[in-house]
Amino acid sequence: MRGTDTLDALTAAIEHGRRDEAVALMRAAVAAGEPPRKMLDALAAGMADVGRRFSNEQAFIPEVLTAARAMKRSMAVLEPVLVDAGIRPEFTAVIGTVQGDLHDIGKNLVAMMWKGSNYAVVDLGTNVSPETFIEAAGDYGADVIGLSSLMTTTLPAMQRTVRALRCAGLKARIIVGGAPVTSSFARRIGADGYAKDAAAVVRETRRLMPAG
Amino acid sequence: MAGPSTHPLIETMTQRVLLCDGGMGTQLIARGLSPGESAERWNLDRPDDVRAIHRAYRAAGCDLLTTNTFQGTTTALAQHGAARDVDAINRAAASLAREVADGAWVLGDVGPFGGFLEPLGETSAQELRDIFHRQIAALIEGGADAIVVETMSDHAESRIAIQTARQIADLPVLATFAFQPAGSGIYRTMMGVSVPDAITAAIEAGAAAVGANCGTTLGLDDYRRLAGQLLEAAGPTPVMLQPNAGSPEMVDGTLIHPAGAEEMADLARDLAAMGLRIIGGCCGTTPDHLRAMGQAIAARA
Repeated sequence: MRGTDTLDALTAAIEHGRRDEAVALMRAAVAAGEPPRKMLDALAAGMADVGRRFSNEQAFIPEVLTAARAMKRSMAVLEPVLVDAGIRPEFTAVIGTVQGDLHDIGKNLVAMMWKGSNYAVVDLGTNVSPETFIEAAGDYGADVIGLSSLMTTTLPAMQRTVRALRCAGLKARIIVGGAPVTSSFARRIGADGYAKDAAAVVRETRRLMPAG
Repeated sequence: MAGPSTHPLIETMTQRVLLCDGGMGTQLIARGLSPGESAERWNLDRPDDVRAIHRAYRAAGCDLLTTNTFQGTTTALAQHGAARDVDAINRAAASLAREVADGAWVLGDVGPFGGFLEPLGETSAQELRDIFHRQIAALIEGGADAIVVETMSDHAESRIAIQTARQIADLPVLATFAFQPAGSGIYRTMMGVSVPDAITAAIEAGAAAVGANCGTTLGLDDYRRLAGQLLEAAGPTPVMLQPNAGSPEMVDGTLIHPAGAEEMADLARDLAAMGLRIIGGCCGTTPDHLRAMGQAIAARA
């Protein structure tokens, strides 16, 4: 298989969650000495493709989770190559579900999307207090902070968290999302970005922080 | 022992449309439940409040009272460090509803266990059966007349809950799913399960009535459209629907469920005319909504 064919096949295998095939293709690409950056892009493209279908209601949580699993295993093959090539994660992202909210599915999907785009992701879990967000964002030098909420009842906590992060003077961009969150709510509470779903979050991060 | 086909609940629903109750979580919040606090703990810690909510729904004319056990599985309670109280919580919840039922039926409420089944997640079918068995057995011990398996997204999970309930006791099991718009006027669960697939799975597992509750970004007209699709999928099996009071909106920093009692009454009238057999409410609905809905249903009969 030619190099570009291998990488296209890798993208398709990730998109459709064919884990073993993706790992085999990743190994083949590494063995063939494909440029690390291109291999990384092929992984991210697979996640972006399933993400796009997710946004269009053509794919659902199971498809995204299986794609993410294939991405994760392939990334494990690629990681040593990236280290050797001196390619470091592009951004550091800190993510969590806001205080009072114990839902983690949406937050996990976003974390996977970011990982698939070569961001270092610090996952703070669910029911995260504003103080914990501030501390972690400082400790890890976050470039971007993701706040998730599933329940309408925890939207006020999201607002409090954004305010606390601003007061702490952190430079990181704040992206909010989750079922009850709308773009107008995001604007009103002073977030930098809004992602309607896990697929949109990578596009939104790119918009806020153009690469290079 | 009377089989579920002759259970009085099922017999009654063939004769008239039954009114299920409405939102529990939003009522508990109105009484001071904080975000992140376990609503189910209130069955032990604030029994008077839970009882008062059931009583208000009964006074509004509801025929079915749903226990405060939506997140009452061991796994869901574990998120609040309350897993060891699973039996006591579910038993207490059923008896609280029972105490004020005054002729209404008590539905033991079973919600999603909070994870994913294998191979997507790490819970096996047998583990899930054990999880549901624990909750459902306690609900029945506490006095539940029937079980409602609700807000499900994964039809495999729903199927296991229904089968487990049917194995424990010969009681009717009602089963509802949470849908969201999936383009071109159709609906799927967040796991991508279509209306026909969800409904067929529930019927095959032995549900006595099937339908939908809650859901994401559904307006009242969505519920009308969804009802048609549920009826088509269910065939002769009775259909139930528990809509939210519209899709929630933030207005001046406060969360509003936009649909008032009159709009919900109009919806209930339409749903009854379409042939639904159990109509109730979900998030944002109150005893006032349910009273108006019950009157609208009765007025057309």
